[in-house]
Amino acid sequence: MFKNEEMEINLGPQHPSTHGVLRVKLRLDGETITHCRPMIGYLHRGVEKICENQTFFQGQVWTDRMDYCSAVANNLGWAEANEKLFGITVPRRAQYIRTMLNEFNRLASHLIWLATHALDIGAMTVFLYAFREREDILDMNEAFCGSRLTTTAFRIGGLREDLPPGFEKLVKKFLAKFPDCIAEYENLLNENRIWKKRTIGVAKLSAEDAIALGVTGPVLRAAGVPYDIRKAFPYAAYAEMNFDVPTRTEADTYARYLVRMDEMRQSARIIQQCMDGMPEGPVMAKLPKILKAEVNEVYHATEAPKGEIGYYMVGEKGSGNPYRFHVRAPGFINLQALPKMAEGSLIADIVAAIGTLDIVLGEIDR
Amino acid sequence: MSDETLPQPPETPEAPAGPYVYDYAASPQRQIVLPKTVPLPSLKTYEAEVKAAAAADEAKWQKMLADFETAKAKAEAEGKEAPKPPVRPVPRKDDNDMKTPWPQEAKDDDLHRLQERLGGKAEEIFEQAGELTCQVSKEAIHEALQLCRQDIALNYEMLADQTATHYPAATGFAFSVVYHLTSISRRKRLRLRILVPEGFQPESACGVYPSANWMEREIYDMLGIRFANHPDMTRILCPEDWEGHPLRKDYPVVGWGQRDIAFREDRGGMLERIALQKAGQLGINLKQPKAE
Repeated sequence: MFKNEEMEINLGPQHPSTHGVLRVKLRLDGETITHCRPMIGYLHRGVEKICENQTFFQGQVWTDRMDYCSAVANNLGWAEANEKLFGITVPRRAQYIRTMLNEFNRLASHLIWLATHALDIGAMTVFLYAFREREDILDMNEAFCGSRLTTTAFRIGGLREDLPPGFEKLVKKFLAKFPDCIAEYENLLNENRIWKKRTIGVAKLSAEDAIALGVTGPVLRAAGVPYDIRKAFPYAAYAEMNFDVPTRTEADTYARYLVRMDEMRQSARIIQQCMDGMPEGPVMAKLPKILKAEVNEVYHATEAPKGEIGYYMVGEKGSGNPYRFHVRAPGFINLQALPKMAEGSLIADIVAAIGTLDIVLGEIDR
Repeated sequence: MSDETLPQPPETPEAPAGPYVYDYAASPQRQIVLPKTVPLPSLKTYEAEVKAAAAADEAKWQKMLADFETAKAKAEAEGKEAPKPPVRPVPRKDDNDMKTPWPQEAKDDDLHRLQERLGGKAEEIFEQAGELTCQVSKEAIHEALQLCRQDIALNYEMLADQTATHYPAATGFAFSVVYHLTSISRRKRLRLRILVPEGFQPESACGVYPSANWMEREIYDMLGIRFANHPDMTRILCPEDWEGHPLRKDYPVVGWGQRDIAFREDRGGMLERIALQKAGQLGINLKQPKAE
């Protein structure tokens, strides 16, 4: 019926598979996508402008609310960018706790990705299993900083509080059961025929295209590029950790799924090492009550679950506010690759393409 | 029954013709405080500042010495006790874990190679907080990016981030545009920086790094810098008909909301009447401000 007749449709901004308020303008030839244009900005709150008009300390709550699935990772990048700007040395124990919480957050983010991505594609059961484990991680967040999602976990110069009593027990309990849980998810999906049919060879993005488009994170590693900021430019306590960077060469949705599953195993490994080698000592550096900047500009990038999150800050002499605050959101840059991945494929596959990029609109629109 | 006996509907005031033009600069709540300094990190300015500060310190010390000499001579002439000699003040040392990273001389080979290849187009190279910065002239940015991408010794494959900053207090330029390049194979980062005046259109980086597409659209949307030869120079985060560019320093932080239209362009005083009525119910006198 639609053969040789192009049709334009909007996917979103209210569509269950777009993970928020993403609108994609599609031009279709039958069921094949000939043109794809993502349109964003529906959730734009002006985080950068707000942070420029608040003190250095106050910016953190806005980083929670950018990518609300990985708030701790956002906090870590923010705290380290500030520390670079002021030249603060953070105590070693604080570095270890930060690393551990960051890896827990990676697990939580990957679990929510796995749950929703599988749900989009039609595998309902994984959703329930993944949320079960995510709940444990959120409980640990709550034990550490009082809130589950918008954590505001760190402070400039370290942490506000040390780990609460009994935290170790929670971690041990979690680590004891988590490998079995991963096996459980893989049991449900790895050899699932529908899952494989919907993901293998879908939404391919070659390594050259990924690098040219600035794509980072698991999407880049699934194309065979072993670029992980934790290894390439170590921060926090990652230089002392022993872990691998999982890569695949197929560069399709299934490869990205496998990369993320392997990453979860590595995260569990890092958490174990943090617990084993946790040094004693203070968790907060000695700082003046009010931080006044000198003229300086920094760009600090860390490996968030979604990719490279970078904070660019400019300090003004004697000012308590950042003169310029900019966030390089991984989702914003990664979403640029959507047309490349979706054009020429079937309309049903764009749902897989959006899911595999692991986007959160709160971070893309900022 | 004639029409005149019917109760007449109350006169509805006419709504003002739209679209509204909000003169936000005129409102006292929205006085914009523009920055007075230009916080642009640079080795040259830093060195000049250090030199000036040292000279001022020395002058102050010399003046203290001279004052002491005159006071001493006066005391001797009057036969009084000689005043105490001055002590040179030592800068106070803070006891904390902060060590401000100052701009330093460029030591990295990449920066020297860039300077060598670009010649006079590289305006300044320096390092600060472990980050490499190369400022190039605004016309040469495309050439510099191409060099970074294609030169085998440099080989910066990825444009990780591109953004801009507004400097309204500066003379000669209004914005700095920074490019953060990453070399995945060599594990290195580099910052390129250009200074552009208002209205200048820098060459787009899309030809060299396709990832610049959305970032340049964001810069245009947020700061109003247009890029030449960009495939799609439209707004990205704000709606197409948005007025102004939010990340400029002269853009107000307080929004133009209902609160502000209500009383300035009140439709026939209706809103004000309602407000007064409500206030009266609550026992607040809006008309007469409280005597201090």
